[in-house]
Amino acid sequence: MSWRPTGSLFKPVRPITLSTKWNLHVQRCRRQSSLRTFQDDPQEAPDNVPIRQQLKDQLKQKKAAKKKNSKYDDHDAMGKAWELTVGIEIHAELDTARKLFSSAPTNSGSKPNTNVSLHDLAYPGAQPIFQIGTVLPALRAALALDCTIQRESTFDRKHYFYQDQPAGYQITQFYQPFAKNGTLTLGEADGISRQDGDSVDIGIERVQLEQDTAKSLVVSGDSTLLDFNRVSHPLIEIISRPDIHSPATAAAYVRKVQALLKSVGAVTAGMETGGLRADVNVSVRKRSDLAPEDTRLGQRTEIKNLSSLKAVEDAVKAERDRQIAILESGGTIEGETRGWTVGGTETYSLRKKEGEVDYRYMPDPDLPPLIISQQLIQQLQATIPLPADTLVAKLVDGYGVTEKDARTLCNMGDGERLEYFFDAVARTEDLLGSTDMTARVGRLIANFTVHEIPALMTKIDLEPQWSPELIPALQLASLVHLLHTKRIHNSAARVLLAKIFETEDGASLSVSELAEKENLLRSLQTDEDSPGTDSTDLIDDVVGPVSAQVFEVNQKMVNDILVKKEVKKVYFFVGLVMKELGKQGKAKTYDPRDVSDAVQRAFWDKYGP
Amino acid sequence: MHRFGLRNVVSRHGRYTRAYSHGAASNAFITQHTAELDGISTQAVRGPLEGRKIAVKDNICTAGYDTTCASSTLAGFRSPLDSTVVRLLREAGALIQGKTNMDEFGMGSHSINSAHGPVVNQGGDGKLYSAGGSSGGSAMAVTTDQSWAALGTDTGGSIRLPAAFTGTFGFKPSYGLISRNGVVAYANSLDTVGILANSTHKIQQTFSAISKFDHKDPTSVTPSTRKNILKVTPNLRMLGRPLRIGIPGEYNIEELDQDVRHAWVELLETLQDHNISISAVSIPSTKYALSTYYVLAPAEASSNLARYDGIRYGTRPEGSDMNAGTLFSRTRDISFGEEVKRRILLGTYTLSSEAMDNYFMQSQRVRRLVQRDFNRVFQTRNVLEEGSVGTEDGVDLLLCPTAPCSAPELAAVEAQTPVEGYTTDVFTVPASLAGLPAISIPLKQRDSKSSIGMQLIGQYGTDSLVLEASGLLEQLGLTNAPKYEGSKLQVEGKLWDPNLAMSYKNMSKYYGGGMKAVQWSGTKSGTKASA
Repeated sequence: MSWRPTGSLFKPVRPITLSTKWNLHVQRCRRQSSLRTFQDDPQEAPDNVPIRQQLKDQLKQKKAAKKKNSKYDDHDAMGKAWELTVGIEIHAELDTARKLFSSAPTNSGSKPNTNVSLHDLAYPGAQPIFQIGTVLPALRAALALDCTIQRESTFDRKHYFYQDQPAGYQITQFYQPFAKNGTLTLGEADGISRQDGDSVDIGIERVQLEQDTAKSLVVSGDSTLLDFNRVSHPLIEIISRPDIHSPATAAAYVRKVQALLKSVGAVTAGMETGGLRADVNVSVRKRSDLAPEDTRLGQRTEIKNLSSLKAVEDAVKAERDRQIAILESGGTIEGETRGWTVGGTETYSLRKKEGEVDYRYMPDPDLPPLIISQQLIQQLQATIPLPADTLVAKLVDGYGVTEKDARTLCNMGDGERLEYFFDAVARTEDLLGSTDMTARVGRLIANFTVHEIPALMTKIDLEPQWSPELIPALQLASLVHLLHTKRIHNSAARVLLAKIFETEDGASLSVSELAEKENLLRSLQTDEDSPGTDSTDLIDDVVGPVSAQVFEVNQKMVNDILVKKEVKKVYFFVGLVMKELGKQGKAKTYDPRDVSDAVQRAFWDKYGP
Repeated sequence: MHRFGLRNVVSRHGRYTRAYSHGAASNAFITQHTAELDGISTQAVRGPLEGRKIAVKDNICTAGYDTTCASSTLAGFRSPLDSTVVRLLREAGALIQGKTNMDEFGMGSHSINSAHGPVVNQGGDGKLYSAGGSSGGSAMAVTTDQSWAALGTDTGGSIRLPAAFTGTFGFKPSYGLISRNGVVAYANSLDTVGILANSTHKIQQTFSAISKFDHKDPTSVTPSTRKNILKVTPNLRMLGRPLRIGIPGEYNIEELDQDVRHAWVELLETLQDHNISISAVSIPSTKYALSTYYVLAPAEASSNLARYDGIRYGTRPEGSDMNAGTLFSRTRDISFGEEVKRRILLGTYTLSSEAMDNYFMQSQRVRRLVQRDFNRVFQTRNVLEEGSVGTEDGVDLLLCPTAPCSAPELAAVEAQTPVEGYTTDVFTVPASLAGLPAISIPLKQRDSKSSIGMQLIGQYGTDSLVLEASGLLEQLGLTNAPKYEGSKLQVEGKLWDPNLAMSYKNMSKYYGGGMKAVQWSGTKSGTKASA
């Protein structure tokens, strides 16, 4: 049937048409807004999980996935008997200057109830005015998810009563969303379950634009405070197909969507600050019951409002286990909405099916259809930042960065760290007056950006909040320049880095002056004493080959570490490598701690997950 | 619980007791802006409406004065901003005289569903008649000469019906020409701001001051479409041929009062005598229009009125607002009147997932049919539809009664069932569904002081032609027609027999279907008030 509902009486009256001329205009607005956010509220600036923390988490998850404690894990007998199916709805706050249907600013850090228009408060007589600028980040997100953009989409009202929903309905895109049929490919590096093999494609059914709700703050038993600043903040809802079959992959999917949205500048915040929330739909079915082509899924339940990656994984696991236990004891699964408490072990029922709300979707009679021109889509497609996988390849091949560091650079923050990296590389090349050494300089700078600077923050007990201001790019460039031109040792570089950070007048004193003042410059005499040693060689380049030999010779030890998880045995290799370096007359060139780190890097690069 | 009978009003609202005892008060106003009229709060503005006293229906926001929509829900509510239409009136020099009484949120045909008590239309015979609804207060303000003109809103006939019942002119422009920004929504896709006055000329003057594009109303007709309208709309002088008026056969229903039918025929004869061409046309979808309207309007209403939860503004009872697990049910139960509750329930039902396809979707399709039927009879093309060319020998305007009867007595109205009440709108809703301009013109009856409303309907955008023709009819002096002695009307060479009427009930097989939903919600009134 070709009939589609429409709210407005006369469709062609005044469609909201997006052509390319809006792009420039809107980009201008966006720039202004980000400037404002930065000045108004530095705490609002990108929130980051500490890098090492995240890497550690990923590692931990992968290791955990390998031993695992759940009764019904993917690979044991029980797991084989049951198939888990998960579909995920992700709600992400778009990075826009204005709300979806009013010109009120979106700055949610402001004083409560200051950024609201009459329409946001659902005042009688107020009408929605679609803010065209909100479409651009939404489009970038949909394009990054490989969706087909619909030329025409419409807005509908989803009705339910709650105090955080001023109009009694949310404006969303139920009948005709603006984007459909995308795909997201998850690879091993994304932390998918082993059962998914090398990679798995997750289908995106649709992406729709919608309004956020107010924030409620319960102050006592029967009293709630409401802040309407967030009302009508533009959201996209990304609805996946039920293509996910393990808890780890569910978390990996959410993690990757989050990273992708940040990398294309569609969102500012992640799950840590509530900028992104997920609802998961979970069902199980017995494999033995399935005909080969049977696509019927088991009865599903929905777990709402998961606000961390861990919650996604744990809730899916717990719900799967609950459903299997019920089915195995001869019970049936009820379609219902369930909740999850952070740190909990079980999901709990929120609403049974008969208590479900009938949302009574109705086309919004005030809002004309949204028309997006093909030209605009093409223009955005051409200017959209590279997808993370392409960037990783570029960093590895063009800048000599290790794959792990490259991924970290791409995945963290808003691409801010990546910008810092490129900035520092360019400045170092300026100092060198040459671009021939990009591979070496790139690897050094990536190492500082990803490991040394955050480690420094941790060491001095600072919340390791990344910011390009911690060590200005120019100063890092100067430092790397000194290192590269063999004027300081690796260990001295680390000390110097701390000095740059600590020195109040770091800016007035140049890095080389500071190195001189702190007596860190290498004596040329020492150098001449040991010709042939090139102490400023990248430590990894020296230690790497030596380590590789050592690993080869000691395969049993390697196995102990990998299979028996005796991770500490890595230090055994450190000893061997130091010995080997001594034989080459290089032992004194390096700080043992650097060697230890390098050996561990070499080991995990080679054998790590 | 909320249905105000006259007696109730008298006992509940002491100050109206006095008014009624004087026998003259119509209860037309909810708020009077005396300060503004005395020139205390405003400075004189020069303009085409300078010093004109204009009354404004109470669902149109005015800064500094209450806007209650005649509902307890909005008791004491003040909008921080003027609606666009009120701003335009003020800029043209008009004085906003006060806020007029109405059916709560526009839901009603007699202006009796009001938290402020019913509007009363006292006839020359001393009896109390219906003022029509829902803009009954605006109509009474005009007919009693308290106001130079008045703003109303028309969703399914709410301006035309009161005009017909009170003997005034009531104009509903094309949908989207006058901004709805600041006008409290009942059913957005139908709501139209319009004008009541006691002459066509006053309506024209007011209309030209307020028919402006407004970027704050997403459904406001754009300047470029307005230009197109100017291009395609003919005027009487430029037509170069006699005006063509169509009589839609489906409007001649058995249920039509004889008086109304006779007045209609007399008017057509008079026009024919003045060289106006009369032809018969057919709008087959008319029979579905009423039920379609009573599905769509309550559906939108149930959505629009979901915001009245008493949290950010409006009425709210003390203590927790949770009743038997249902949020806001106490607030919404005590503050909405019976008719509003009935329509919210009806709309809630027709939008529910089980009924959506049978009612709401179906009605949207019928609405398209109605639009298509109108496009087929008019010579002027519909500027909103790409590829619309107009019908070569089509008519310029349609002429039909505004209502099947003249103003009924209030007592009779109060005795009606809701569905009987809804049938009053049978002739006004088709133009609303299609968004067409329509005006109700009063025909004074020779034998009494009552009058009958006749409706001119034009193609979308031909508002100026509708008003010009209304002016022409006014000039022809239609107050003194000879006594009706059978039809002499010639249509297409034959005598037109008005007695060959169709039964509305029989011709509309969907009539029962649509109305079943209405009755369903009527019988379950109050059980799911906050659903």
